[in-house]
Amino acid sequence: MATDTAVSKTPQISFEEFCRKTFDPKGEFAKPEALKGIRVLSCTQYILGPSCASYLAELGAEVIKIEAPRRGEAMRHTTPFNEPFLYPLSKYVPERGTGLGFLGANPNEYFCSIDFHRPEGQNLVKKLAAKSDVFVENYRPGTFDRWGIGYRQLSAINPRLVYQWLGGFGGWGPGRVRASYDILGQSQGGNFGMTGKPEFMGGSPAKHTIWLADYWGGMMGAVQVLASLYYRDKISGEGNFIEYSQVHGVTRQLEYALPLYGRHGITRERWGTWDTQLCVHGIIKCGKSSYPNSDNPQESEEGYILISASGDEDFARLCKTVGDGNIASKYAKADARVKAEAQLEIYPFLEKWAADKTKEDVANILDKANILNQPVWNAKEVATNPHWQQRGAVRWLDDPYYGDLLHQGPGYKMSQTPPRLKWAMKPVGADNESILGKLAGLTPEDIKRLEDQECI
Amino acid sequence: MSSAKTIPWPAVPIPKPEEVYAGLSDQAKDYPLFLESICRQSHNFEKPEALSRLRVYDTTTRMMIGHWCSSMLSELGAEVIQIEPPGGDPMRKLTPFGRKEYMFTDKETGEPVGAHFLHEMRNKMSVTLNLETEEGREIFKKMAVHTDIIIENDPPGHRDSLGIGYRQLKEINPRLIYCWVGQLGQWGPHKDKPGMLDPVAQAACGFCHGTGDPKEFGGTPMRSALWMADHVGGTQAAMGILAALYYREMVSNEGQFIEATSAEAIIRILDYSWAWYGMDGSIRPRFGNWDLAINIYAVNPCKDGYMMVGGGHDRLWYRIWRVVGDEHPAVEEDILGDPHLREVADRLAMNQQIKTYTMLGEWLKDNSRSDAERKLSKQQVASGGVLYVNEVAEYPHFKYRGHVAETESPHYGKILYGTTPFQQHKTPGRLKWMGRPTGYDNQDTYRRLLGFTSEDFTRLKQANVI
Amino acid sequence: MLLTCPSCKTKNFLDPYPFWNFKGTTQCAGCKKIWRLETSNGACVSGPEAASGTADLLPGFAETPAYEGISGTGLTRPAPRAQKETVCKPKAIKRNVRGNVIAGYPLTKNDLVGSRAKFMVAGAK
Repeated sequence: MATDTAVSKTPQISFEEFCRKTFDPKGEFAKPEALKGIRVLSCTQYILGPSCASYLAELGAEVIKIEAPRRGEAMRHTTPFNEPFLYPLSKYVPERGTGLGFLGANPNEYFCSIDFHRPEGQNLVKKLAAKSDVFVENYRPGTFDRWGIGYRQLSAINPRLVYQWLGGFGGWGPGRVRASYDILGQSQGGNFGMTGKPEFMGGSPAKHTIWLADYWGGMMGAVQVLASLYYRDKISGEGNFIEYSQVHGVTRQLEYALPLYGRHGITRERWGTWDTQLCVHGIIKCGKSSYPNSDNPQESEEGYILISASGDEDFARLCKTVGDGNIASKYAKADARVKAEAQLEIYPFLEKWAADKTKEDVANILDKANILNQPVWNAKEVATNPHWQQRGAVRWLDDPYYGDLLHQGPGYKMSQTPPRLKWAMKPVGADNESILGKLAGLTPEDIKRLEDQECI
Repeated sequence: MSSAKTIPWPAVPIPKPEEVYAGLSDQAKDYPLFLESICRQSHNFEKPEALSRLRVYDTTTRMMIGHWCSSMLSELGAEVIQIEPPGGDPMRKLTPFGRKEYMFTDKETGEPVGAHFLHEMRNKMSVTLNLETEEGREIFKKMAVHTDIIIENDPPGHRDSLGIGYRQLKEINPRLIYCWVGQLGQWGPHKDKPGMLDPVAQAACGFCHGTGDPKEFGGTPMRSALWMADHVGGTQAAMGILAALYYREMVSNEGQFIEATSAEAIIRILDYSWAWYGMDGSIRPRFGNWDLAINIYAVNPCKDGYMMVGGGHDRLWYRIWRVVGDEHPAVEEDILGDPHLREVADRLAMNQQIKTYTMLGEWLKDNSRSDAERKLSKQQVASGGVLYVNEVAEYPHFKYRGHVAETESPHYGKILYGTTPFQQHKTPGRLKWMGRPTGYDNQDTYRRLLGFTSEDFTRLKQANVI
Repeated sequence: MLLTCPSCKTKNFLDPYPFWNFKGTTQCAGCKKIWRLETSNGACVSGPEAASGTADLLPGFAETPAYEGISGTGLTRPAPRAQKETVCKPKAIKRNVRGNVIAGYPLTKNDLVGSRAKFMVAGAK
């Protein structure tokens, strides 16, 4: 149909096919890595720091994770309901395992163990830092400085070092000594208080599942590291110090809440599964379970679905589909629909309609009417969904240490230098010999001695 | 529609350094003062910007993911030109519950803008261009020569069919980094779902199902109040863009095509959901404000709201109960005597968590958030209340560090906002201005990039091209 | 709120979210007696007094004074779980959902080659 020159230049292959070929996860390893040659020391624990380094590892940086000898870092000892573990924790304690809390924050990394408390360990860190581009740590502010391996000392050894500190509240100001965890970041940053059902709906503030402020905070850290590397190598030749406070990050996310508070003194409240700015644009309950015979309570419970018909035409079509003229005419205009009272009438009305349907029934009906909907999928539905599997968002990984694991892929795709997944993790200190031998000049005897002394 | 400030901020003065560091020895003050001297935002404008040599066209509309992504780049110094359709991005009109009186109004033109859109238009210029017209596309192709990065979020393949997609523009500008952002992706079985917006991604990735109280506690799946998947997806997109930039500068001298989706960004960070299912078929349940993998690590009700207390390992566990025991010796005694609560792993059991938080509630019910935090912090236990926006805005630590600040906009007056968390020694992020009216930068941008004349502007405006 | 049963001394854990502000009846998981109570902000403001009928809401968990746990259908509310049963202790998992080998069970030093499990190295299925 279109005959202009630009379109006629378009190759024969369809755009979808082009994308499928360009971003095919199976082709990842045939392509170069964006951060090849960048070395990152990750002296991190829990999620905030480790995830930051892991995003760089996905991009091809050589990330060396340094943990406490023998037991490793704290996150290895957390797992949901204490049920699944991957063994061994290390070659010294094969009968103990690493909990799944550790997964996802440490893929593709090399694993060394060093005791930071001992002068010999601190010397090793200095030797490694002298040959590194990025240093990531998330101990309490000033701890590494006290140990002689902080920004001030390491930047003197290696002025090109990008030193990334991540933590709860930052290292200065009245709250600098406060320790933090993800949900503390969420609590104090403000997104916790806005999420969940309001009191009149019988709800309370709700945390975001995932350790969101940690995992996403690490991402914000990685963005800064990448910008700093670009600036270093393209412009200044100098390293940098980056202080990322996860509470600050959460506060940055609050959308219209702060401007409205500042202008009108309004405190943004919770609004459950609906939306404050659009209607219809919310999650409703479907009365029937999609798997009524399953013995897993996650499947036998009722389904939920997101319905979105915020435009006037979409809403009219939705009402026609659902079969109501009254609401359609009463709330024909978007401005009228989005009001709180209107929402309190519209969503229960939709739930009533869906009371005898599964979420798939609702989706089928709405798909036919070309109305945007998205069933609320549980972890199994996501993990087994062909869309996510084809795209490599969730993928089976032949892990050399732990076997056949289902694992998340990188969160974005690149045509020339795709991020990729190599292995999920390794036991504590698995790479001591290769890394410390290569970078710190330790002989096999040194390594044996230091391991016996539990210094590494 | 009044633009007058109705509340003073800060209501309580910002603490002064001498108050913050009062009573500390020189040695104890040394490190925080060093950090403050290199990280304080008031020093930002003395320092260079990491991305100041870059130009970005954000051509996304209707969604937050692209705006968030370009915000990250603009805070780090990139020149971001927001290209909107004539009349502006429909997101400009969004305001909570449709309340027009909550919108911000341009002093000159009277054009209103919703606070949500405004908050993400930081450091960006606003240019209008109608890509649905032939002439608009020709202009866009000429402009593509001048940029490093283009971000778009049209339906999959739409730009390609218009002749201004990645495949066509890379011929014009081989160094172009082209990033598509969206909810579910440009390819794959679900790519063609109609007009998608967060929280589609939240529902499609397992996030909603896993958030909120479990059914057993009377709960339902829950979405984030925020368009949070877009924030995470936009951050991943920014990461991809910067990695592509680094590779372009260091190695290839060529751009590339990036695709980032909100749902996959969340799938990436949904910790153990996938591995757990893969191991034994477990489906991650909701667990309310408690944690599946750590005890104590939860938010529970207290005297004046909700209180987070965290401390999973033994050292902190016993410290927490010592604090509780000061007021409720019987509670501490009961916990210490319980043979099922001695090992970290045993405490993770569902029933043990119920017991733990019920017993902690005996103490929390008598303690306000600030009392609880004060008592626990003496024992170095991480804790803090769930804060509401008014409390966040007034929180002394945030005010002192400038996490929340006020800016004076030439268009919209004073705006309270969440500042950039990109605090650095050498190339810190910063706010230069907050938002511009639709098409405010048309003259400047088209003249300097394409040499437009006054006649061009008149003609294109009439033809609804700009 | 902790409800120590006036009748049998069972410790009933009325977990904070549902019972923080509550008015109605619950049942002792030890002796099945029904108790009427009213709580406000986590504190008991009236009751517990003996009542009859069925409980409005069961405790989340309960214990005897000797720390023996009491839970189960009709005694406590069901727990959220990821599977049919909640185990809450390490499970030995040797094969994953698609039947392939996975190192999900405790090993001995003899099971190892270096840091890796022998059956991984040998590729045993």
